[in-house]
Amino acid sequence: MEQFAQQLVNGLTLGGVYALIALGYTLIYGVLQLLNFAHGEVYMVGAFLGYFVMTGLGGPAAPVVPVWLMIVLMFLVAMIGSGLLGVAVEQFAYRPLRNSARIAPLISALGVSLFLQNAVLLLFGSQVRSYDTPRYWPATGAPELAGVRISPVRILVVALALVLMLALVQLVNRSRFGRGMRAVAFDRDAALMMGIDVNKVVVLVFFVASALAGAAGVMVGLVFFNVYSYMGFLAGLKGFTAAVVGGIGSIPGAMLGGFLIGLVESFTTVYISSNFASVLSFLVLILVMLVKPRGLLGKAAIVKV
Amino acid sequence: MDSTNLNLGTDEWVAAHAERSAGTPGPLDRARAAWEAVPLLVRVLLPVVLLALVPLAGSSYLTRVGVNLGLFALLALGLNIVVGYAGLLDLGYVAFYGFGAYTFAMLSSDKFGLHLPTLVTVPLAVVLTAAFGFLLSLPSRRLLGDYLAIVTLFFGQIFVEFAISGDSITLPGRSQSSDLTGGSDGISGVDRFSLLGLRFESDAYYYYLLLALVLLLTLAIYRVDRSRVGRAWRALGQDALAAEAMTIPVNRLKILAFVVGAGIAGLSGAIFAAVQRGVFPSSFDLPLLILVYAAVILGGSGSLAGALLGAALMSLLPEALRQPAYGEWLFFVLLCLAAVAVVRRARPLLLVAVGTVVVGFVMNAVLLAAGVQGLPAADWTQGLLSRGMGRWLFVPVDRLHWGNAAFVLLVVLLAVASRIRPAVRIALLPVLLWLATFVWFVRLSPEPSLTRQLLIGALLVVLMIVRPEGLLGRKQVEVL
Amino acid sequence: MPVQDGEGARAEALALRAVSKSFGGLTSVDALDLTVGEREVVSVIGPNGAGKTTLFNLITGVYRPDSGQILLAGEDVAGLAPSEVTRRGIARTFQNVRLFHNMSVVDNVLAAMYGGTRTGLFAAALGLRSARREEREARARAEELLSFFGTRLMGYRWDQPAYSLSYANRRRLEIARAMATGARVLLLDEPAAGMNPKETHEIADVIGRLRAEKGYTIVVIEHDMHVVEGVSDRVVALDHGVKIAEGGFEEVALNPQVVEAYLGRGTAGTK
Repeated sequence: MEQFAQQLVNGLTLGGVYALIALGYTLIYGVLQLLNFAHGEVYMVGAFLGYFVMTGLGGPAAPVVPVWLMIVLMFLVAMIGSGLLGVAVEQFAYRPLRNSARIAPLISALGVSLFLQNAVLLLFGSQVRSYDTPRYWPATGAPELAGVRISPVRILVVALALVLMLALVQLVNRSRFGRGMRAVAFDRDAALMMGIDVNKVVVLVFFVASALAGAAGVMVGLVFFNVYSYMGFLAGLKGFTAAVVGGIGSIPGAMLGGFLIGLVESFTTVYISSNFASVLSFLVLILVMLVKPRGLLGKAAIVKV
Repeated sequence: MDSTNLNLGTDEWVAAHAERSAGTPGPLDRARAAWEAVPLLVRVLLPVVLLALVPLAGSSYLTRVGVNLGLFALLALGLNIVVGYAGLLDLGYVAFYGFGAYTFAMLSSDKFGLHLPTLVTVPLAVVLTAAFGFLLSLPSRRLLGDYLAIVTLFFGQIFVEFAISGDSITLPGRSQSSDLTGGSDGISGVDRFSLLGLRFESDAYYYYLLLALVLLLTLAIYRVDRSRVGRAWRALGQDALAAEAMTIPVNRLKILAFVVGAGIAGLSGAIFAAVQRGVFPSSFDLPLLILVYAAVILGGSGSLAGALLGAALMSLLPEALRQPAYGEWLFFVLLCLAAVAVVRRARPLLLVAVGTVVVGFVMNAVLLAAGVQGLPAADWTQGLLSRGMGRWLFVPVDRLHWGNAAFVLLVVLLAVASRIRPAVRIALLPVLLWLATFVWFVRLSPEPSLTRQLLIGALLVVLMIVRPEGLLGRKQVEVL
Repeated sequence: MPVQDGEGARAEALALRAVSKSFGGLTSVDALDLTVGEREVVSVIGPNGAGKTTLFNLITGVYRPDSGQILLAGEDVAGLAPSEVTRRGIARTFQNVRLFHNMSVVDNVLAAMYGGTRTGLFAAALGLRSARREEREARARAEELLSFFGTRLMGYRWDQPAYSLSYANRRRLEIARAMATGARVLLLDEPAAGMNPKETHEIADVIGRLRAEKGYTIVVIEHDMHVVEGVSDRVVALDHGVKIAEGGFEEVALNPQVVEAYLGRGTAGTK
């Protein structure tokens, strides 16, 4: 039972991260019908940025500012940095292809992903960096729930993920920008004709999506410590899967998918084998695709001929 | 001009529309026209004869390069069918390559004590891989292009993970774990080919086999392209709904394309396993996939000759990069091509060249004045250029930090340059050219594999923006 | 199965019985009955949104009807895949021309012959004699089909990409492509849309010739009443998915419900 609860916590933590990444994918797909393969790299850059802020502020052993401030700064810098990177990618690699065949931005995204991954490798080397969180944020005094120790880091991560998601939902449903976003997602040309500045909406969407990914990167660093240039690919793939499972284009779907995949992975790792964590997530994907091709919460598209 | 002589509106005038609208033929178009003027038989036989002479040149390195090219060409041809004809974005394609390789390795090595004859294992590998492709395509049937991309990408990943952890799988009904795939060490001791009593003692045998296979496959695909199935594939790539309305069973044809592509990859994989005398999971991962995609897209998705050309470029260029001397020449050729592509006219080009030289000397002086320590030319270049370049290019001792900073600056400037007015861009060009050379020699040329990935990534982006139809593809027109 | 009543009526080529289709809460087609006899030319008219193109989509299998039957020569084809429906003998053109634009004129026509030919992958790859023979025969048939439209789609135009054709020629090519499927019933969706008077006249001519010379059964969706008047044996008027009138052109055109549907309430009394 203890194991179960522990894995539940792990699954929710991981799920929160995947949900944030999945949200980014879903937002971008909703607005541009583009699968942004480079999204995973943006997440990775966020993780690196957080790491550099930490080392810049004295490192895990001797931070020059209070720990809470350091963490806030890590998140801020990562989110803003990732957001800007996402916008830059959109401007230079996707915008010129706005009216091209569907496959063109996909290939371009592949290229960006490859480029970013290797650029980071070039600039920062292949050694694995560690957030080394326990050094400045010991897990002692962790609250207990059903006999399971839940470290404060995980509580922070899950809580922050939920807060960000809530903020996003508010943004999309209540704000002017959100309205514009939904209009563009529904019919880009019509939105353009209705006076919505589609380009600005797209830029903002990319910023928000990438900022969320950046936050996810810092979260992973805090909880799992290790940061390296290849981390974007696999996490991106899982995030993708989560978005598709939940129904790409659907925000609640991305959240549901994220938590589902996170839980599947955690439980598989422990109860079956860590080797099969990915395999099972993949099977979940296939299953959902077979039964509900649009995803669990996706809407069936009506083909207008 | 007397309009009565223009023959406006007559059939001949209309028929010449394509020529007129092509505008001034660019160098690529002129090259293509020149190529197509050569008689077909010569066009086909000449390269074949030249290629057949390669192993006789006596260099085993060259023969091995040729073998790799052959394997890669098969992959490119197969992927061209899946992506170029049927328009299916299969991002797990190299998993089929791996599947064929592993199947062959399992059936013809010490792994399970099976040493089945080549004429059994190779067709078996092909058929099994094709069947595997069929299974994978079934759940993907209803998927739109985007979804298929994700599913296949994930699948490719699963394949590698399975291969890596396949050395301790607990099969149902057994208490102990079995070693199926050899884990990350893979399977070694794979048999050589032995066809009709002829043992493949050296790479040359595989070379000729691959040459024959590539030729036969090219011929077969050429024929299919002009036949009922080829047309149906192209139609479904153009407009799947309309194709379906015109008696074409779109789903069945997608599955067919998938299966054929898988079978071809399986064939290549089986040969790969025999050439390498072993299989390892790391050979079938994402970098290879991207390389094959780059080959097909660069050559021109949907173009047979394009797939072959792309395969040649993507297979040979990395080899060239590996030798520093070749790498240098390659770099300069690319740099000049880029400059020509941007500037186009002789006089400004000359000015840019002079400007670049000037910038070089200026930067040299600036860096020296700032007290930066430099490396002697012999340390960073082995080519004939060392003497001249030594004066012009400054390579700081601290290659890492200077290189990184310059790299970031270069990327930023390139991005900026892509958005400014052409005239300003040309003015910026000398700085960019010098900076690119700086980054190359300071940071990139000591790291060929990383550089290769960077260049391919950049290539894909630039290609999509500038010339999505690739080198030999036909520009696709979208009628709205 | 041919249906013949005492008056020696034609066999039924196509019959819809109580076909309905809704999208979400919107009923697009409501319990529609429609019969088209062999070699008949029936026009379907109605304001935009009346369900005309949905009707075509239902018949050709793009949509599955919620209820009802779609009988092609007596056989219910409702729910079959579109490629299968076309193979059974119904082909269509599209409201927005949906040619294979980057393929040549002749390839467009040849592609549509898929259902009626048999050369498989291996036969083609090996260059078998049967494959080459079938290809030759297909090309001969393509030539015959394209020559139906005079010289417009012949000669040097054969190998030109479809996007290079003029708009009117593209519409003609779409008809030729539909003919190439081997169908006996043609559904033409606004064949005269966007054409000038001369071209419109030619298209009406083509429709007449398709029936007279080639024996096709034709259902036409059209807005241009000159065309409707000129080609139709019978006119069916739809509004909001319901048949509101059926009969000869004069009869339907003057039907007050039809006038009201097109021009709005209050105009029914005027002519």
